[in-house]
Amino acid sequence: MNAIETKALNIGYRGPKGDQTVLSGVDLSIADGEFLTILGPSGCGKSTLLRVVADLLEPLAGDISVLGEDPSVIRSRRQVGFVFQESTLLPWRTVEANIELPVQVGRGRTGVRDSDRKRVKDLLEMLGIAGLEKRYPKQLSGGQRQRVAIARALFSEPRILLMDEPFGALDEITRDRLNEELLDVWRRTGTTILFVTHSIMEAVYLGQRVMVLGANPGRVMALRDLKGQKTPDNRCAREDPAIVNLMSELRKTLEQVS
Amino acid sequence: MNSLLRSVIAPVFGPLSIILAWQYLVPIAGIPPYILPTPTGIAGALANQWPLFADNVWTTVIEAIAGFLIGNLAAVLMAVVFVYSAPIRAAYFPVVLFFNTIPVLALAPIIILIFGLGLTPKIIVAAVICFFPTLVNMIRGLDSASSNERELLHILSATPWDNFWRLRLPRSLPMLFSSLRIATATAVIGAIVGEWIGSDKGLGALIIQATYNYQSDRLYGAIVLSSGLSIALFLIVVAVEKLVLRHE
Repeated sequence: MNAIETKALNIGYRGPKGDQTVLSGVDLSIADGEFLTILGPSGCGKSTLLRVVADLLEPLAGDISVLGEDPSVIRSRRQVGFVFQESTLLPWRTVEANIELPVQVGRGRTGVRDSDRKRVKDLLEMLGIAGLEKRYPKQLSGGQRQRVAIARALFSEPRILLMDEPFGALDEITRDRLNEELLDVWRRTGTTILFVTHSIMEAVYLGQRVMVLGANPGRVMALRDLKGQKTPDNRCAREDPAIVNLMSELRKTLEQVS
Repeated sequence: MNSLLRSVIAPVFGPLSIILAWQYLVPIAGIPPYILPTPTGIAGALANQWPLFADNVWTTVIEAIAGFLIGNLAAVLMAVVFVYSAPIRAAYFPVVLFFNTIPVLALAPIIILIFGLGLTPKIIVAAVICFFPTLVNMIRGLDSASSNERELLHILSATPWDNFWRLRLPRSLPMLFSSLRIATATAVIGAIVGEWIGSDKGLGALIIQATYNYQSDRLYGAIVLSSGLSIALFLIVVAVEKLVLRHE
């Protein structure tokens, strides 16, 4: 079964003066466990697409199924994790309490058990920020905060992880390091990842496929398979000529649509 | 050295210079003590007539604290109702706005007419004067969660109960505390204004009686105590705020 399947999907916002379409005609099949990056200019509907998958927004027309179900079903089963550009950590909660938020809200809340504490520890270790449990978000760097946000999204072991420019506000060194760590997380967990970015380098380095969107009107311009240029476990060297070529090609496509 | 000057020496020197000038220049200028008593004169009055002052301070303390608690609690509850019901907010916010435009000096006699001369009308005046700023701040605070924060709770299938206790209420606390700080001074003012209009007890009553009898040292003593009361309430609120918002 595919992780995500869309047919003639139109997305946008419903308004009193009629619907405003942001992105239209999306036909997409994303395999279970795939890493797809989404690249496009501002206003092309990249984030809006993630919001439809996460059941934050209803599609205007067309079909979408997530793990073979309606997005709302998958959301209520906690099988979707979301990482925002802003870390969106609640400032009055410690790192630990932020990550445990999923077991403290919702109808199925269980409260925090010993096994949850253990899981927080494991997640922090996996993301290279062990020992920060009792800190408040204000006491963390931007990179640490985003790692905590990823830990929170992974806490319920989601099958699908949606990431909306999660590293967009970080410096380049931190961003490269987090790219590396994210690939490790992906290999270990087998989660399907949809990753929105503005950076061509990031899109190529992370994705098994790159989807390029155009704006005005928003539509899918290209869907490039990178598996031929990468190792089977999705590794590549940033300076590999094939990768560099691919990047300049994507840059041309993007320049046409921006 | 510079930081010591700025943090300790300057804040002590400033008020001290004024008190010293007041103490020594006022008699030299020939201003009689029944117009403006000296600081030592006021301190002496406070010490000599302490039982009288203490008796009256307690009344005002009780009124101001009770008014502070009732006024702010009512404002918080009404803010919650307004935030959750747009029709009620649309219908009654203008009414609240209208009441807020009535000067407290005009409102106080009405409240005293209705509730008589006991503690109750003063508590109500103090509560009324605290109410509006806290209502406005609390409404804004409860609405201040970002769209990402609301989306986060939606993805986690949070209940409305979760949304209130885990997001909206904690989000509102910084704004609530900034209005509570202001309310410490206004609650004392409200209690004293209530006492002016009709009372034989409390700092407000003491101020009125002392003014009519040209007992300036007693008048100034009452002023010192009322501002001391405001400062004490302010410091309590700041201490509670530090405890509650220790993540800030």
